[in-house]
Amino acid sequence: MAASNRIYVTEANEPIYGIMAEFATPAAIYHAAEAVRDAGYSKWDTFTPFPIHGMEGAMGMKRTKLPLLVAAGGFTGVGLAYLMQWWMSVVDYQMVVQGKPYHSWQAFVPITFELGILFSAFTAIISMLALNGLPRWNHPLFKKERFLSSSDDKFFVCIEAADAKFDPDRTRALLEKAGATSIELVEE
Amino acid sequence: MSQIAADMSHSHGHGHVSKATLLRDENITLPHGAGRGLGMGLMGVGAILALLVLVAGIAGGAEGIAGLTLKHAIASYFIGTIAVLAICLGNLFLVLAFHLTNAGWVSTIRRQAENIASYLPLAFLMVLPGILAEIAFHGKMFLWLNPTYYADEALQHKQAFFYAPLHISDPVTHEPLKTPVFPVFFLIRTVLYGIVWTYLARTMSKLSRQQDQTGEVALSAKARFTASWGMLIFALTTAFAGFDYLMSTDFKFFSTMWGVYFFAGAVFSGVATLILSLARLRALGKLEGVVTQEHFHDLGKLLFAFTVFWAYIAFSQYFLIWYSNIPEETAFFLYRTDHGSIWRGLSIFLMVGHFIAPFPILLFRVVKQKPMLIGALAVWAILVHVIDIYWIVRPMVNAGDGVATTSIMQGMWADVLGIVGPLLALAGYIIFRAPASCLIVRRDPYLDESLEHRNYV
Repeated sequence: MAASNRIYVTEANEPIYGIMAEFATPAAIYHAAEAVRDAGYSKWDTFTPFPIHGMEGAMGMKRTKLPLLVAAGGFTGVGLAYLMQWWMSVVDYQMVVQGKPYHSWQAFVPITFELGILFSAFTAIISMLALNGLPRWNHPLFKKERFLSSSDDKFFVCIEAADAKFDPDRTRALLEKAGATSIELVEE
Repeated sequence: MSQIAADMSHSHGHGHVSKATLLRDENITLPHGAGRGLGMGLMGVGAILALLVLVAGIAGGAEGIAGLTLKHAIASYFIGTIAVLAICLGNLFLVLAFHLTNAGWVSTIRRQAENIASYLPLAFLMVLPGILAEIAFHGKMFLWLNPTYYADEALQHKQAFFYAPLHISDPVTHEPLKTPVFPVFFLIRTVLYGIVWTYLARTMSKLSRQQDQTGEVALSAKARFTASWGMLIFALTTAFAGFDYLMSTDFKFFSTMWGVYFFAGAVFSGVATLILSLARLRALGKLEGVVTQEHFHDLGKLLFAFTVFWAYIAFSQYFLIWYSNIPEETAFFLYRTDHGSIWRGLSIFLMVGHFIAPFPILLFRVVKQKPMLIGALAVWAILVHVIDIYWIVRPMVNAGDGVATTSIMQGMWADVLGIVGPLLALAGYIIFRAPASCLIVRRDPYLDESLEHRNYV
C-alpha cells in the first residue's frame, strides 16, 4: 500500500487524501485534537457542527496574521486617501472653497476615515478567504456519506496524507486510541 | 456547554482552581479598616488643597495673590473638581449600562465601579463652592452672571436658560438691569443634578451590597429596572451639566455636540479609573483568578472604544464648526487653535495625547491584557482627560483680551493644586471605601459566568 515517494494509494489504486475519524462528543474531539497536536502532526483539521471554545488551543494553532494585515490595509487606505485628496485639492485642481486654504486637513478627514475603513474591511474579508484557502469548489471529505453529520451531531478529525508524520497504520492507531467511534480512509 | 468547558479547562493551560478557593475571604476582601487612615487623610488633604486655591483667590481680591486672580482661582478649582465629577459620572454610566445590558462578565468588577460612582455626592459637593463663589462674586468665570454683560444680545436671548423665571432686563422697557440677578433656573438644575446623581449612585450601590447579604436574585431585577429609567435621567443630567458648568464659561458659544463630548470624556476617564483601581487591587495580591487578564482585556477594549468615541465626537464638533464658519461658534476654536495663540500647542497635544498616540498602542492585545500595561495607559488617560477639561476652562481666564497673550505659567501653581487636590480626594475615597464591602459582588447571579469569562481570541 505504501510507496517510497510517500504517496499513499488505496487497493483500488486511488490516491489517499487522508484519514477521517469520527467522535461522539465535543469533549472527545477536544482531547483527540490534543493527542494529534502532541503527536506532532501539522496538516490536519477538525470539523464540528458548532464552534468549540478553546479548540484552537487544543489543536496548537498559532494566532492568525489577519490583524496585522488589516492594520496594514487600514493604514494604506488612510495614507492613500489623504494623498489623493491633497493631490486633487492642492496640485491638480485648485479651487477656493469658503476662502479656506487649498490644503485644509480638516476637510480631508472624513474621506480619510472612510477609506481607512474600506481598505480595512476589504483586506479583512479577502485575507480571511485567502488564509483559509477559500473559495474552493470541492473537498475530498464531501464524498463521505458519514461526513454529512459533521453539520449535525458528530465531530470529525481528518489528518492529511501529505503530512510528513502521516503513516496509515500509526495514524489510525493514534485516532483509535483517542477514542474515535469510526475511522475511514478518504480518497482524493 | 459549561460542563464541557469545565471538563476541558484542565488541559487549557488555565489550571483548574475550585470556586471556593477563588472566593476565599482573603482573596476577595480587604482587611476591615485597612487603609482607613490613609484614605481619610488623602480625602482631607485633597479637599484642603483644592479649597486653598479658592480661598487664595478670594483673599487676593482684585490684585490677586502670587499671580493668581480670583477668576483664575475659580477656574483652577473648576478644572479639578469637574474632572473628578466626570470620572464618577463615567462609572455611574458603567454601572447602569452593565445592569441595563444584563452583562454577566462584570460581576467581579462591578463593585469597584459602584465604589467610584458612590463618590458622586461628594464630587458634586466639591463642585458647589466654585459655583457659589461665582454667584457671590457676580460672575468671574461665568461672565453671564456679571451685570456688565447683561446688555449683550446673545445673553439677552439665552437669559431664560440661566435666570428663568427672573429676567436680566426690565420687563417693560427691555433695558438691561445694572444689578446682579439670581440665576434661579441654573440653580434649580444644579440641585436636581445633586439629588438625581446621589440617588442613582446610592441605589445601585445599596442594592448590590444587599445582594452580598441575602443573595436575592430579585435585587438584580430591581437594579435593572432602576437602570432603565436611570440611564435616561443620567443622559439628560450629564449633558446639561456639561452645558451648565463647562460650555457656559463662554456664554456666546454653543454646540449641540457638547453634552456628548462631556459624556465621552467622562466614560473614557471613568473606565481608566476603574482599570486603575482593579490593577492596584491585583498588585496587592487580591482578586487572584477572580479578575483575570480576560477582564482587563475587555476593560481595555472599553478604554479603546472611548478613545475612538471621544475623538469621533471631538472632531465632529470641531469639523462642523470649522466648516460652517459662524462667528459665535468659531470663536471657541479660533481662540484655542489659531496661529499665535498660546493654547495652540495644548490643542495639538490634546489631539495627539487623547487619540493619535493611545489609538495604535491600544490596538495591541497584550497591552489590554496585562494589568501593568493597561494600568499605565489608564494613568495617561486620566491625565489627558484632566488636560481636556483644562483646555476647555483655563483659556477662558484670559478671554476677552483677544488672542491670549498672558503666559500659561502664570498662576500655574493654582492649576496644579486645583487638579491634584480633587484627584487625591477621589483616590482617598476609593482607598477608604474599598474595604467596606466585599471587593466583588460575591452573590451576583452571574458570578460563575464572570469567573469563567474568556475572550476566546
